Amino acid sequence: MKPHLFLPFLLFLIGCSDPSSDEASLPTIDNTAEVEAYYEANPDFFKFKTLDDLPQDLTWVDGSDLSEVGSPNALKGGTETVRLADFPRTLRTVGPDSNGSFRPWILDDTSMAMAHRHPESLSYYPGLARRWAVDEASKTVFVELDPEATWSDGVPITADDYLFIFWFFRTSYITAPWYNNWYESQYTAVTKYSDHLLSISIPELKPDTDSKVLELRPLPRHFYREVGEDFLERYQWRFAPTTAAYVLKDDNLVKGRSIRLTRNKDWWAKDKKHWRYRFNIDNINLVVIRDTPKVFEAFKRGDIDQFGLTLAEYWYDKLPDSDPAVRAGYIEKKWFYNVRPRPPYGLWINSDQPLLDDQNIRLGIQHATHWQLVIDQFFRGDAERLNTANDGYGPYSHPTLRARPFDITQALAYFAEAGFTERGPDGILQRADGTRLAFTLSSGYEALKDILTILKEEGAKAGLEFRVEVLDATAGWKKVQEKQHELHFSAFGYSLELYPRFWETFHSANAYDKAFLDNGEVNPDRSRKTQTNNLELLAIPEMDSLINQYRAASDAETMMALSHEMNQLHHDYASFVPGFQTGFFRLGHWRWIRYPEHFSYKHAAGATQHFVHWIDESRKSETTQAKQGGDSFAAQVIVYDQHRAR
Amino acid sequence: MIKLNPQTRKKLARFQKIKLGYFSFVILSLIIAFLSVAELFVNSRALIVHYEDTWYFPTYADFHPGTEFGLDYTYETDYRALKQHFLDNNSNNWVLMPLVPFNAYENDATGGIMKPRPPDPERGHYLGTDTTSRDILARLVYGTRTALMFAFAFMVSVYLIGIVIGCAMGYFGGWFDLMFQRLIEIWSNVPFLYMVIIVFSVIPADASIPIRIFLLLSVMVLFSWTSMTYYMRTETYKEKSRDYIAAARVIGAGTPRIIFRHILPNVLSTLVTFMPFTVVSAISAITALDFLGFGLPVPTPSLGELLKQGTANLRTAPWIVTAAFGTLVLILTLVTFIGEAIRESFDPKQFTLYR
Repeated sequence: MKPHLFLPFLLFLIGCSDPSSDEASLPTIDNTAEVEAYYEANPDFFKFKTLDDLPQDLTWVDGSDLSEVGSPNALKGGTETVRLADFPRTLRTVGPDSNGSFRPWILDDTSMAMAHRHPESLSYYPGLARRWAVDEASKTVFVELDPEATWSDGVPITADDYLFIFWFFRTSYITAPWYNNWYESQYTAVTKYSDHLLSISIPELKPDTDSKVLELRPLPRHFYREVGEDFLERYQWRFAPTTAAYVLKDDNLVKGRSIRLTRNKDWWAKDKKHWRYRFNIDNINLVVIRDTPKVFEAFKRGDIDQFGLTLAEYWYDKLPDSDPAVRAGYIEKKWFYNVRPRPPYGLWINSDQPLLDDQNIRLGIQHATHWQLVIDQFFRGDAERLNTANDGYGPYSHPTLRARPFDITQALAYFAEAGFTERGPDGILQRADGTRLAFTLSSGYEALKDILTILKEEGAKAGLEFRVEVLDATAGWKKVQEKQHELHFSAFGYSLELYPRFWETFHSANAYDKAFLDNGEVNPDRSRKTQTNNLELLAIPEMDSLINQYRAASDAETMMALSHEMNQLHHDYASFVPGFQTGFFRLGHWRWIRYPEHFSYKHAAGATQHFVHWIDESRKSETTQAKQGGDSFAAQVIVYDQHRAR
Repeated sequence: MIKLNPQTRKKLARFQKIKLGYFSFVILSLIIAFLSVAELFVNSRALIVHYEDTWYFPTYADFHPGTEFGLDYTYETDYRALKQHFLDNNSNNWVLMPLVPFNAYENDATGGIMKPRPPDPERGHYLGTDTTSRDILARLVYGTRTALMFAFAFMVSVYLIGIVIGCAMGYFGGWFDLMFQRLIEIWSNVPFLYMVIIVFSVIPADASIPIRIFLLLSVMVLFSWTSMTYYMRTETYKEKSRDYIAAARVIGAGTPRIIFRHILPNVLSTLVTFMPFTVVSAISAITALDFLGFGLPVPTPSLGELLKQGTANLRTAPWIVTAAFGTLVLILTLVTFIGEAIRESFDPKQFTLYR
């Protein structure tokens, strides 16, 4: 009998062995031939020409007149300690587990694209490109790469590194369907004229045609020669050569504990106009501390240099202006109002669930959720009511549309329309057949769970019951991606774009496999489409056609009008309860951390996003001495409201 | 009247003599008695409303909409406001509120801002409010009640399964015993916490709070019954070979009768000594699970959730952690004292010559 009992354990042990640990034993791969063959097989997409073929009438732009980012007073040097909530599961920047809180450190916030939007004016300043030109007739953007640009390992950056992304992001090796789809559908051709001159074409002209191309980041062709079937394991812990100022050296990664990024002193862009006063700190020590209260204590001790104070609880209670360290000027508090697309925090109603498919119920829910109380009590009046799912896009956002207010009478009227007329013994509305007006309200935001309890308490007054379900972030997101939710409290992190996207969230193609029959009627056998951002299962033929017009439109006026129309339609359908928006960020930092005069930029998402801060070592020792001697400095609690919406 | 056998009476008398344990028992009983009618003391619903010569007792009744008392809304009456309303109007109507006029769920944000407030007897928040401006005393009372109910249900279920399987293993022996031993060995190696996490991730969204609590209980029982079986098995083995069992068998008693009438009463003393400690471990487990966020669903009041809030706000709101920690220490100490006393009074070794 005994040998049999061991079997399951043996299997278990085999299942646990880590294939990535023995990288040396991996077979050698060289994908040069495969990539070249792919280029040859798609001659309409990958084109090779000479400089003589370049159109002569191009208007080149180089963005060099835009103001510098950062302060000329910035000093280089020092070490900053930063908290990581979780250790990254991979150093890859694409593929499963790669899109975590660590990626911005090696990709989103630090690496260079061809050009970047200036955080003050939204125009482009040069990155890897020296100059660029948009040719509207051929829907093509021409780019001349800076010949000085190199990877962190010294290899020059060339047009080949850009051609390569159209192979890499389209392969199935990377296991990233969104990338596959984006790079297959959003670009129509890439042409290499010389090592430093290329052009990329897109299917439709847009008010921001240039952004589609200029924000592309290259991939080090020489580093990814071994990409193949085992890409995920092979590249799991390899740090790729980067265009960023920060590099990760081999022995600076302690798995599960910390990662130290060091400033590349030979970074090619270190003297470039828009880059020279940024990325000032020599070492960035990323330390895993899971518990936020613990991080705050570490911050107050000075072990961590900066701490986000956007939550009212921290700004007013845990680090009030009367705190000894703030009063003595050791810790400075900054409050900065910014202008950018607002994450649409609110309730996403799954309109394919029983009861919730009834518009009257959805309208009732709109009036039964007391967001104003959330804003007053939880945010202490600092946040504002969100009005549509696309606020913060300037003229593209609807100018007059307002979210429906909390109103018990109106809510009860709508619920009555849907047959909920009587209150049960606990005060919750019910139909004559005993159906209760109760829904599950789920969320993956542990830190915002108090909001849900407020909504629950207030909803009960309108006879509506919310069963609150707080999940961890991953489980919560999985639930909505599987479209298993009833109501879900969540938001999308929108990047800085000129105009909102509608296809992802509102198009029926992202709601059902085949939402409508060919004759336009609702397909009775349609099944929910999972893993998309249409969280409301919104499928309205009129909306689909508006989205198609919007995608095909190229002038701003038309797109604005369409955007307003779609937001109105979305508002009428009532499947999204707009919640709140915070028009600012707040930060606390020790006084040795220094920021430019105006602290941050109009369109910045956070103070550290552009790496314009620096460490002043002399102030650090001054502060340490002052702390010991009980001396103090002038308190610094500053509100920068020059960009505040009025 | 139940006639206890002299042995048991002696044990009980001995228990009564151990003062620490006995008084702990009395205090815990009082606490349980109080908790079972907690709605009369800690509640946002009034005890008595006298309105237009009619008497209302809302505590255990269906909800009364505001319109019933001449107010302009159809949802549950705000009795605190109603009391003030009647006082202001100088009418004959009056409201008698419980000692703590809050329930465990409502946000009572003083000044319209949600934050923890220190104890304020004037407003009725005797232990202050938590981070969501809910009354801590109310949450403690109902949280403790849930924890105790949970612990007792846990104990009963674990013992029921443990006794039946343990006795059967000891009594039947042979293949049956061998098989269950191996089964238990494997089963007890399954990590309990992971199982709770896995099970909780697959619970359907529309499960109500009682169903969730029941599922949590089931999972915990499912992974805790094993330890009890081994004690029962050895005890039964021992008793089985005694002469009185042989005698019973000769008289013609069947297996169930022998197990439940003859063996069980004789192994009960072992069992009884374990009970309080099982309760302690159950309370600790549910508190720990809540603390980790895998326990009772939000916003159910619970000790673990309060502890978590408390540790997150140690500097700004020390009263949260004090209240939760104090309660936990009190309950666990009481139960442990009782357990020690029971163990001592039921210990057969007192009669041996070795003492």
